[in-house]
Amino acid sequence: MTPRARARWLAQEPLLLPVLAVGLAFGLCAVAIAALGRSPLLAAEALWDGGLGGLGPLGESSLKATALAFTGLAVAVPYAGGLFNIGAQGQFVAGAIAAAWIGAALDLPGPLLIGAALAAAFAAGAALGALAGFLKASRGVHEVISTILLNWIAIHLVDSWLVVGPLHASGSSGFSHSGTEAVRSAAHLPLLAGPDSRLNAGILFAALGILAAALLLRRSRFGLELRALGASEKAARTVGIPVGARTIQALALGGGLAALGGALLLLGGGTDYRFPENYRDPYGFDGIAIALIGAGDPVGVALAAALFGVLRAGAVRLQDPEVGLHRSWPEIAQGVAVVLVAGQRLLRGLYRLPLRQRRTASAAPAPAPPPLASPPA
Amino acid sequence: MSELTTLVVSILAFAPPVALAALGGVLSERAGVVNLGLEGIMRFGAFFGAWAALASQSAWVGLSAGALAGGAAGALLAALAIFAEADQIVAGVALNLLALGLVTFLLEWALGAAGGITDPVPALPSLSLGGLGRLPWVAAAAMLLLPALASLLLAKTPLGLRWRAVGENPRAVAAAGVSVRGLRFFAVTASGVAAGLGGALLPLAVLGRFEDRMPAGQGFIALAAVVFGKWSPLGALGAAVFFAGAEALQIEISSSGGALAALVPRGLFLALPYLLTLLALAGFVGRAVPPAADGVPWDPEAR
Repeated sequence: MTPRARARWLAQEPLLLPVLAVGLAFGLCAVAIAALGRSPLLAAEALWDGGLGGLGPLGESSLKATALAFTGLAVAVPYAGGLFNIGAQGQFVAGAIAAAWIGAALDLPGPLLIGAALAAAFAAGAALGALAGFLKASRGVHEVISTILLNWIAIHLVDSWLVVGPLHASGSSGFSHSGTEAVRSAAHLPLLAGPDSRLNAGILFAALGILAAALLLRRSRFGLELRALGASEKAARTVGIPVGARTIQALALGGGLAALGGALLLLGGGTDYRFPENYRDPYGFDGIAIALIGAGDPVGVALAAALFGVLRAGAVRLQDPEVGLHRSWPEIAQGVAVVLVAGQRLLRGLYRLPLRQRRTASAAPAPAPPPLASPPA
Repeated sequence: MSELTTLVVSILAFAPPVALAALGGVLSERAGVVNLGLEGIMRFGAFFGAWAALASQSAWVGLSAGALAGGAAGALLAALAIFAEADQIVAGVALNLLALGLVTFLLEWALGAAGGITDPVPALPSLSLGGLGRLPWVAAAAMLLLPALASLLLAKTPLGLRWRAVGENPRAVAAAGVSVRGLRFFAVTASGVAAGLGGALLPLAVLGRFEDRMPAGQGFIALAAVVFGKWSPLGALGAAVFFAGAEALQIEISSSGGALAALVPRGLFLALPYLLTLLALAGFVGRAVPPAADGVPWDPEAR
């Protein structure tokens, strides 16, 4: 490779920057851990053991990675069309509560019940996404603001109404339940490695979801039109792509994907097979980080979700006395990595990489953001 | 009558954090930079406010530290969005994620807070109202004064004219020989100071301690208040007061335990501010139109 070709490759390789950002974030965290008088090596070992050392840890990692993969896709798929879905958290919660409801209310044989619960979850999330898409297409409401608002509408309605009201478990035997009724055992996702590990079929759904999203974005007409919309809305309109319909469909699909993440976490036993009271895990917000670190690409999302799923699971071991660290370190690393990915120009300066050529539409992963004041179409 | 007084007192007690964060949102967005990091900035402000207040045993030191931390977080957001040419929305999200992990860690490392809750922090001075409890008047005064000052600044001063212009038509500002990036950096940093102050009020004037779940979405309510208040300092204040009123009403209704509490679920009240804002944005309840260049990065070479 000639130096010029190398420079061009470095400037355009989409996954290079996220890898450098994650590497630098880990490095910074290691330095900080050392500065606290703890051992980064012990920490790495604990994370490895806690995330990958045996079937038990693998089960925990895969539960978390599955949820992150779907919330990551929920952000990445609409992002291909220049649409920023900040609403994954609300969609995730909507999917989980829908699955909890169907899984407890219907009496069907296993595969059918799981299918029904996932379908209901997808529908709930897709409805939230489609609403944001509709408001954008018909009333010019920017999807960033509408999805944020819908997040909190969904979270409050689920947390302070459904879970404590209509769907609250009826306390039968004086045994105090919090949250919804547990789903029937027929709705439990099949375990893949025996009863000692929570490794379940959810991870297969995640692999399928990644594959489907990759094919959809790269090989389908829908994906092509979506990417065209992401590159330039004006151009997409000019060549006759139905921009409004694609906007609604892309956000609905994103919402459905986030909801599947919530449903699979619940049916996989991540929350004891019920929707708990005061549920606070920010998988949906993390999905934004996963999508950004995964460079908006389904394969990148898979890699990022796997990495941070393992780290999240491994983090329980950071609290071992000989390691002596707080379990929030993976979140800190994730936050730093996202800041670095966001500040690309800064990162390129640090690594002395050539700056990306300005205004080369094909090389840019992120389309220029439209103004928030976009007039109604 | 006494119910109304109770409502006013609880609004004055609960609205200031959201109102000041919303003021921060207005300051940033009127300069053309979307501040999606309000939640994270409030979190930094709340934590450093509580930490400094505990360390110094002075609520005033805590308040200053909260403002300072907010300003630093705002400057980081500005540096990312303006100089590192990050997508403004991505930069805001990044700040929120960073605040989430970092503060959880600092809380345990610096304060050894068991269960994610600190010891009681020194409180800002408050006024005893007899049977109505205490009113944290410093927070209430800040909530009423700062938006009024900001409103005057934006409407009546040369700096305010430039501030608004850089959010509507940055090209004209650049043509007048004023640095668009410099002005926007200043605006976003000021936005951080306001949101940091709002965050610091959570431990220092509202709850009396720092909790790990803070600010529990109040930064996003503030974002909604910016929109519902149509991007004006006084409008955002009005929206924050209205939202706090809805919340106070909800508490009153659910604590009275009457038939109304059974009829109207609490979740509906909590979701109300967001629902109304969504309706306003969609043009069903008044029309909310953001500044023309809001969210558009400044590119001197673009045409």
